[in-house]
Order: sequence, then structure tokens, then C-alpha cells
Amino acid sequence: MKQVFDKLRPHFSGHGRLAMLGPLFEAVESFFYIPNVPAKTGPFLRDSLDLKRFMSVVLAALLPPLLFGIYNTGHQACLAARTAAGIWPSFSTGMAVAFPIIAVSYGVGFAWEILFAVIRRHPVSEGFLVTGLLFPLTLPPTIPLWQVAIGISFGVVIGKEVFGGTGRNLFNPALTARAFIFFAYPAHMSGDRVWVAVKNTADAVTGATALAHTTLSAPFNNITELLSSAGFTFSRLFYGAYPGTIGGTSALCCLLGAAILLITGIASFRIMFGGIAGLLCSGLAFNLAAGPGQLPWLSVNPFYHLVLGGFAFGIVYMATDPVTAPGTDKAKWIYGFFIGALTLLVRVLNPAYPEGVMLAILFMNIFSPLLEYVEIRFMLKKRIPNV
Amino acid sequence: MLDLFNIFLNSVFAGNILLAYFLGMCSFVAVSKNIETAIGLGFAVVFVLSITTPVNWLIYHFLLAPGALFWAGFPEINLGFLKLVVFIAVIAAMVQAVEMIIDRFSPALYAGLGVFLPLIAVNCAILGVSLFMVERELTFVESVVYGFGSGVGWMMAIVAMAAARIRLRYAAPPKGLEGYGLTMIVTGLMAMAFLLFSGITI
Repeated sequence: MKQVFDKLRPHFSGHGRLAMLGPLFEAVESFFYIPNVPAKTGPFLRDSLDLKRFMSVVLAALLPPLLFGIYNTGHQACLAARTAAGIWPSFSTGMAVAFPIIAVSYGVGFAWEILFAVIRRHPVSEGFLVTGLLFPLTLPPTIPLWQVAIGISFGVVIGKEVFGGTGRNLFNPALTARAFIFFAYPAHMSGDRVWVAVKNTADAVTGATALAHTTLSAPFNNITELLSSAGFTFSRLFYGAYPGTIGGTSALCCLLGAAILLITGIASFRIMFGGIAGLLCSGLAFNLAAGPGQLPWLSVNPFYHLVLGGFAFGIVYMATDPVTAPGTDKAKWIYGFFIGALTLLVRVLNPAYPEGVMLAILFMNIFSPLLEYVEIRFMLKKRIPNV
Repeated sequence: MLDLFNIFLNSVFAGNILLAYFLGMCSFVAVSKNIETAIGLGFAVVFVLSITTPVNWLIYHFLLAPGALFWAGFPEINLGFLKLVVFIAVIAAMVQAVEMIIDRFSPALYAGLGVFLPLIAVNCAILGVSLFMVERELTFVESVVYGFGSGVGWMMAIVAMAAARIRLRYAAPPKGLEGYGLTMIVTGLMAMAFLLFSGITI
């Protein structure tokens, strides 16, 4: 194997015939071997973990939601089609639904990565392995494949490559991609028809997500019972066996992933706990404001919000992205706290969107350089004007 | 009271004069290179907006609007067509005042803002807020809140942008997008994230 690479290298480097495709060669090579050239661009790390290992751990942490997501997608489809919904039928059906989406996301995204790498002479980044998997996991299983392709193109090109590639972007590319198709094709991204993938859609299956399931006319103090009577009990929401995005339904799997990320020290515990604190605090504050005649979502127990919707997935995998999160400690707490609080603000008060974690993270991405700047100024013991 | 609070929130977030209506882009792009200057210009815009909007409200409702000259005995006169000219004159006068104040109290900021301080006079965000104020038929108190809120929203956007541009120094965009091009793309992405607040009322 190594000989093959050594033999091929002259063609791709310097003045070789295929020098144009150098970055592609390098990407394939470092996929198999640890490169012996140091990283030239951020995100740099201070210890022996390089970017490649770093991304491998994130990929490992993404395995639980991925596997469970494939199973759950198939399981919901089987239940809706009233066929056998055992483990293996579910898994194979889920595979048939989820695999093309993931494959398109990776394929189209890598095509853009390689195009930019070849033209702009920078190495292909491992960061895309994560982006290309995060993005499909946040999509509903019925998403048309061409929309996946458009979304990931926008995310990679506008979200990342125009800034110069991994480590230089301001916004999380996977979320940029998702937000783009969320606003461009709302009919395919929200509502109650998109969350269960069934082949024969002659009779459309309504598989509402838990968040979409409650109407604003629900009586006061009743949402929890309403959810329970619809089958969305706390434990079911925690395990994640309900219709939803491909990978974002299970808080348990996100918890496993979070454990991997926290033990290896790759994700910041400050952001995660800050986010959970923000969600719980604003949830309690909304509880205090709840009363008869008010919005019903005000009265939901804040712990329900932890397991509802995509919050767990977002705060574990998206908010902790080291490139777009602030780099200083206190700023991380504030950043996480506001992600949690804004998520709840959208869920409770904004009738336009059922879920808020995506836009909450993108919104805080805007302010993460500012938080960093303010903290650094404080560290410099200089007085700053009120920002 | 709740109405006023809603107007304030809307003008800062969902109806951000810069990120939802794309007014005041020129000074936003040009002055966001340095965070100190951006904060200074932000305060100047807040100040000018919270004065000009109510002043323009008074002038419009007591001099220009159809029937506004009723108190002087000319109920049939409609001077609404003078709206644009008069608003710009008021704004220019206010900016002159702000300029003199800044020059007196903070020469450093005055030098930093340079030509963009007098250019506030032709900043479309300022005129836009006055025109929106007429179009939305706000009351006097509402126009004060709306002017102040729009200024705060504009300032928030430019300060966030100035901080983001510290990071953009390390970006390596393609040739054609260096500088302003990338700034415009970031502005667009910021506008997308600000959609978070669209639809929120209390």
C-alpha cells in the first residue's frame, strides 16, 4: 500500500503530469496514513491530536445517533406501512431511506471540496467528513435528494469555501445548509407530512413530530398530558422512537455521543452545560409567566424541552463546533446559555417555526467573535464602553 | 406599554433596519473594519435616529400631512410632497449638531469616523426610518421608541460585524471576494440567522 503511494507521488507533486490533482492525492493518502507534514491551517490543536484524529472522534460520537436514526427511520416507515417492524426489517428499510441521502450529501459535498482544493491549491479537509454527515442527520427522511444536493452545495461553498476552507468559516456549514433549504423549500422541511418515509404515498401519512403536535388552542397546563395521550411520554421522547429528523430524535444517543466527546475532551463542556442551563432557566422563567389564557407552551416542564425536538443533537454536535464557537472560557458559557435560551424563546413564543435550535446556533455564531473580543478586552483589564 | 415593547423588539431584531431592509449598508460595510469605530458610529446613529424620528414626526403631523395646517387656518392644504426634502434637511441639521458634539468631546472618535460622520446625513437607514414611521402611522411616543430601537438594531449589527471581521482577517477567500465581497456574503448569512425572531410578539 505504502509503495503504491510512494510510486505515485512524483506524478502528483512538483512538475508531475498530474500535479493539478495534487490535493486529491494527498487527501486519499492521508485517509490511509497519518501525514508527516504538520497542519498548515486551523483549527490547530495544542496536543498530539491532529485535525484528522479530531474529526475521527467526532465521527465515532456520531455513530449512535446515526445507527439509531437509520433504525428509527425504518421503524416509523414500517409502522406507517403496517408491515413487520422488527429490528432487521426496520434497519433495512431505514438504510434504503437514509443511505441515498447521506450518499448524496457526501458525494456532492466532496465534489465541491475537491473542486475548490484543486483550483485553489489547498489540501482537502477532513472537516467535511463531519459536516457531510451532520447535515443529512438533521433532515426529514422524505427530503428529495436534489434538495440535499442543493443544501450541501450551499453549505460547503457559501458556508465554508468562500472563507477559505475549514477553520476559517464564521457559520457552521451543516447548519447553513439546513437553514438554506429550510427557508428555500419550507414545504419539504416542516409541517406534519414530511417526517415518515413511506413508499406508496397514495394515502399521505401524517406523522407529526412532538413539537408540531400541539396546537396553540390547547388548554392551559395541558401540554404534557396532550403529549402523553398522543404517545409522547418523557421516556419515549428520551429514547427517540418517534417520527422526526433522521438522526436528531434520540436524546439518549446524543447523550452517548456527548459522553464520548466530553471524555476525549473534544467538545467543550462549557458550551453543553451552558446550553442546558440556558434552556432550563428560560423554561422556568416561562413557567412563572404561564397562566390561563396565555400561550400553552409557557407551562411545559423545562425538562421536557431537553428531550424534545432537535435540542440535544444541536447542543452536542452543532453548538460545540470548535471553529464557530468562541475560543475563550467565559464566552463559551454565555454562548451556550444563549443558544439554550433562544431555542426556548422560539419554541414558546414564535408561531412561525416549531423548532428553534438551528437558528439559535446560527444566531449565536454571529456573536461568538464579539463575545470572544469582549472577554479578551476584560482580560486585558481595560474598561470597554457599553456594547 | 406592551405595544411599545413590541415595537422596540421588532425594530431591533425581526425588522432590523439593516439586516431585514438592507438600509444603511454603505457605512455598515465601510466602517466595520475596526470595532472601536463601529461602536462610535453605532452610538452616533442611535443618537441621530432617536432625535430625527420624533422631530420628523412633529414636522410631518403639524406641517406636512394632509390637513396638518388646520391649526393655522388652512385645513385643505396638503404639503405631503415636501416630505422627502424636509426630512433630509432635518437629518442634515441633526448630523451637524452631532458632529460638533463629537468633535468637542471625543476628537479621537471624530478622526476615526472621518467622512462617515457627515455621511450619516445621507445614510439611507436614517431617512428610511423616518419614512417607515410615516407609512406605519405611528404615534409620537411610538416614533421615539421606533427610532431608538432601529438605531440599537443597526448598532448591534455593525458591532457584531466588526468583531466578525477580526476573524475574517484569517480567511482566505477567492480573489474576487476579498474584502467587501466576503463582507456582503457574511451580511446575508447574518440576515438569515436574524430570521430567528421573525414572528415573535409578546
